[in-house]
Amino acid sequence: MTEINNKKAARQLLICRIVVYAILIFLTVLCLFSFVMMIVNSSRSNAQLQGGFTLKWGGHFLDNLRNAWTDASINIPRGMLNSFIIAACCAVLTTYFSALTAYGIHVYDFKLKNTMFMFIMAVMMIPTQVSAVGFIQLVNKFHLTNNYLPLILPSIAAPVVFFYMKQYLESVLPIGMVEAARIDGSSEFRTFNQIVLPIMKPAIAVQMVFAFVASWNNYFIPALLLDKAELKTVPIMIAQLRSADYSKFDMGKVYMFILLAILPVMVVYIILSKSIIRGATDGAVKG
Amino acid sequence: MKKVIALALTAVMTLSLAACGGGAASSAAETAESAAEEVKVEEAAEEPAEETTEEVAEAPAEEPAASDDSKIINIYAWNEEFKGFFEKYYTVPEGYTVNWVITPSDNGAYQQKLDEALLNQESAAAKDKVDMFLAEADYILKYTNSDFTQDVEAMGVTDFSNAYEYTVQAASDANGVVKGVSFQCCPSALIYRRSIAKDVLGTDDPAEVQELLSDWSKFEAVADTAKEKGYYMTASFAETYRVFSNNATSPWVDADGNLQFDPQIEAWIAQTEKFIEKDETLTAGIWDEEKNVQMFADGKTMCFFGPAWYFNFCMGNAQDPEKGCMGDWAICQGPQAHFWGGTWLLAPTGTDNADVVADIMNTFINDEEVCSNLVQNEAQFSNNQAVNAKFAEDPDYGSEFLGGQNDTAVFVELAKNIRFENQTIYDQLLNEGLQSNLQEYFKGNVDKETALNNFYSYVNETYPAIVTP
Amino acid sequence: MDRKKSGISYAKWGYIFVAPFFIAYIIFTLTPQLMTFYNSLFMNYRDGLMQVGPKFVGLKNFISLFTPDKSGSIGMLKYFGNTMILWVMGAVPQVAVALLLAVFFTSTRLNIKGQQFFKTVIYMPNLIMAAAFSMLFFTLFSPVGPINKILVSSGMAKASIDFLNLKVPVRVLISLMNFLMWFGNTTILLMAGIMGIDQGLFEAAYIDGASSLQVFKNVTLPLLKPILVYVIITAMIGGIQMFDVPQVLTNAKGTPDRASMTMVMYLNNYLQTSKNYGMAGAISVILFIISAALSLIVYRSMSATYRQNRGRHRDRDK
Repeated sequence: MTEINNKKAARQLLICRIVVYAILIFLTVLCLFSFVMMIVNSSRSNAQLQGGFTLKWGGHFLDNLRNAWTDASINIPRGMLNSFIIAACCAVLTTYFSALTAYGIHVYDFKLKNTMFMFIMAVMMIPTQVSAVGFIQLVNKFHLTNNYLPLILPSIAAPVVFFYMKQYLESVLPIGMVEAARIDGSSEFRTFNQIVLPIMKPAIAVQMVFAFVASWNNYFIPALLLDKAELKTVPIMIAQLRSADYSKFDMGKVYMFILLAILPVMVVYIILSKSIIRGATDGAVKG
Repeated sequence: MKKVIALALTAVMTLSLAACGGGAASSAAETAESAAEEVKVEEAAEEPAEETTEEVAEAPAEEPAASDDSKIINIYAWNEEFKGFFEKYYTVPEGYTVNWVITPSDNGAYQQKLDEALLNQESAAAKDKVDMFLAEADYILKYTNSDFTQDVEAMGVTDFSNAYEYTVQAASDANGVVKGVSFQCCPSALIYRRSIAKDVLGTDDPAEVQELLSDWSKFEAVADTAKEKGYYMTASFAETYRVFSNNATSPWVDADGNLQFDPQIEAWIAQTEKFIEKDETLTAGIWDEEKNVQMFADGKTMCFFGPAWYFNFCMGNAQDPEKGCMGDWAICQGPQAHFWGGTWLLAPTGTDNADVVADIMNTFINDEEVCSNLVQNEAQFSNNQAVNAKFAEDPDYGSEFLGGQNDTAVFVELAKNIRFENQTIYDQLLNEGLQSNLQEYFKGNVDKETALNNFYSYVNETYPAIVTP
Repeated sequence: MDRKKSGISYAKWGYIFVAPFFIAYIIFTLTPQLMTFYNSLFMNYRDGLMQVGPKFVGLKNFISLFTPDKSGSIGMLKYFGNTMILWVMGAVPQVAVALLLAVFFTSTRLNIKGQQFFKTVIYMPNLIMAAAFSMLFFTLFSPVGPINKILVSSGMAKASIDFLNLKVPVRVLISLMNFLMWFGNTTILLMAGIMGIDQGLFEAAYIDGASSLQVFKNVTLPLLKPILVYVIITAMIGGIQMFDVPQVLTNAKGTPDRASMTMVMYLNNYLQTSKNYGMAGAISVILFIISAALSLIVYRSMSATYRQNRGRHRDRDK
């Protein structure tokens, strides 16, 4: 009886696996296709690209790479460094302070708690484009253009990340653990930094990746705030290349720039995605 | 998890450094260094670490050398084109530093940035004041007709004898005060395929072709003949738009702020309706790929319209060594004179370097050597009649792309007939908006009324001051 | 609940912990936002370099937003409809597929090989700038693009299809791109949520003889609800804010016949050239009302069922 059941279960599992792998492979192809296109395009000269699209290797990959990397007016290595500084700061600030705020609202009871929570929930929905206009006016008023502060500091308050942290805490943090820490004489900040943060590792890693990527790809606000060549970020440089005059409309180089722009985010993602898994296995000790 | 923490540490350090330095180059270098050190600990992050170390050495060099704040010349531009010519052919006076503020024109970002700077010009510190900015024909009026630009003649730019009149006109305000100069002149020609012209018209000689296409009724008649032989007359419904709109006899907006359609615009719509109905043109926009493939050797289109810069920058397909048709092209004036594009250098009010700005302007319109270099090395049609004439008269000078035809000679003739009239500050986006909304009508997706209604919505969103029907 | 007894003396810590967030928010977001809302009551735009206004006009901006045009349609309602259609088309498969994948990846029974690879790959589209991604799709589906070449040469289509000027294909493409860009992101969020669940619960359920489906329905889903609520609400915010993909794909025109013009694209139209803070402010207020209402509904209904479920689990744990 159990043997038959086992056999049946095994067959079911096999079918399951086949279906799952089929779905995964389909999605992989779909996802990779655009990358293949981009890599192929980055190997084609401008003339080849103008002549229409194929998936044929263009043979100009190294030319484009050299052109892009050593471009006199668009210093891509510099842009990558600038973008990295801003994105890393944003990622850290946004995850740490969102977790802190979420913890504050989740664990403590205070008069304005519910008001504050509802407030954050309400403002979360406001499209970013709405505040952008006023934001630029504000930054101009304080003469903070060409400065990274207005690009970094606002990330302390990220309602969406806060909401995620709050939801996550709700599902993983037993209040008893905090109380136990208090009984052990742990200060509130220590409890948060040394007990709660480790529990939140998977959530923090995930949001760090997202925040990093979002900041790395952010174009709209930085484009309006940064105009000094040595401060520009990667997306501004790419837009600059695209809107360059026709004589410099080298699409091969544009694709190479886009490819270069993606590489660091991929590296960061791969590093952090490993720790998502590790974090999860570590984190499973909670009771 | 250690990696996350290490990365976090790196970022926190970077932040603290960036915060005190306020983004100055030197602190960026420090940050880079510390970031590099920190990141290097991580094997997987080796790549960014290498870049950062490279940067450290370079960063301090970028700090402006000038100590006197007023000796920094801020030039606003939307791309690197002029910067390239400037750095090659202009020698900056001793002690001055040029600071380029380049904002891409994507989504109107350039004008937004520039407007913000001009509006703050008065309160800006000496080192931040705009000293010169670049503008295109389609929105130049917005700046010339304002108090944000100043009289260049008072600054010392007085000799416009060699410049083309329309370029001076375009840079002048309503009272005729000149506010800037253009370093290029952009008469636009009819560019035709020689082989197709031979088949359709029996000749590919520019003079004879011009005779057969010298007005719109002839042009339309030829389109019918071309159709019978299996060719398209043009490859975009909007190909002839500029030819018509440049010759409009009334501005887009009347004195009371009402939107109005000039008879030339109406004529363009009527002609395009005919062309579309008879399948003599395509529904592609002027920048669309669908139009560009028509420039290959196997393309079936006889006519394109464009100025000197068009050959190299938009007709890459025609010049393709394998699929192109190099030399199978020629130019003539076509049905009506018109121009396309151009970059003007304007002097903002409140510049603290008027003398240098005036010298730059004089150099790019009156310095024979610089203008010759622009024609010879940069494939520009310069804004210096004497220099252009020199090349036009040179019997050895000719374009390989145009089968040996001396294009400068043709453009010299065309430039005489350019008019810059009936412009408004709204032209660029009204022209674009009309084309893109009517394109849907020409494609048959919506009826004419809906297309025009959509155009009116677009106008209301873009220019609240304009009253739509 | 059980927090209350220990909470009171720690109240000040609550304020300290949330202070940085609120200070930053008030300075960098709330102030600009309030400026925007305040702007909605004024006529305030730029005509060339000339500033018109600000002049107080009361609700005039709102009235003109809801005034039908010559053909009798109201722009705001049309764009709201477009946005909702595009969102549903993209977000439903996004959340569904992501949930499925998250379960696959975290299932110890399926034990999927090459997880790292798949997880990296499905998130990759999110790494490309939306503008660049749209550009790629634009090239692919243009009338002279490779898709049309394949269709024509294989005889599946007689002439090339103008995908980017047909209502349904444009909407499908936009939804597909949004799906591709965000389903990996959602999968990872949900995975992190599932991995946060006590693995013992799954094992216990399997030992009790529950099928995979039962485990999913009775263990995973209820415990995942907080994260699921988050995912749905953020997907909704993303949907309402949908901008760059249709903007780049249709070259800011929302072709055909403005059928792919979203609310934020509409807002953006007012912001770009005319800097019409009055009208843009009015649209922002409406956007805010719509999204607040939608989110409240989702949040209320989801967290209500969640609380019930959690209550049940507590009882069982005892």
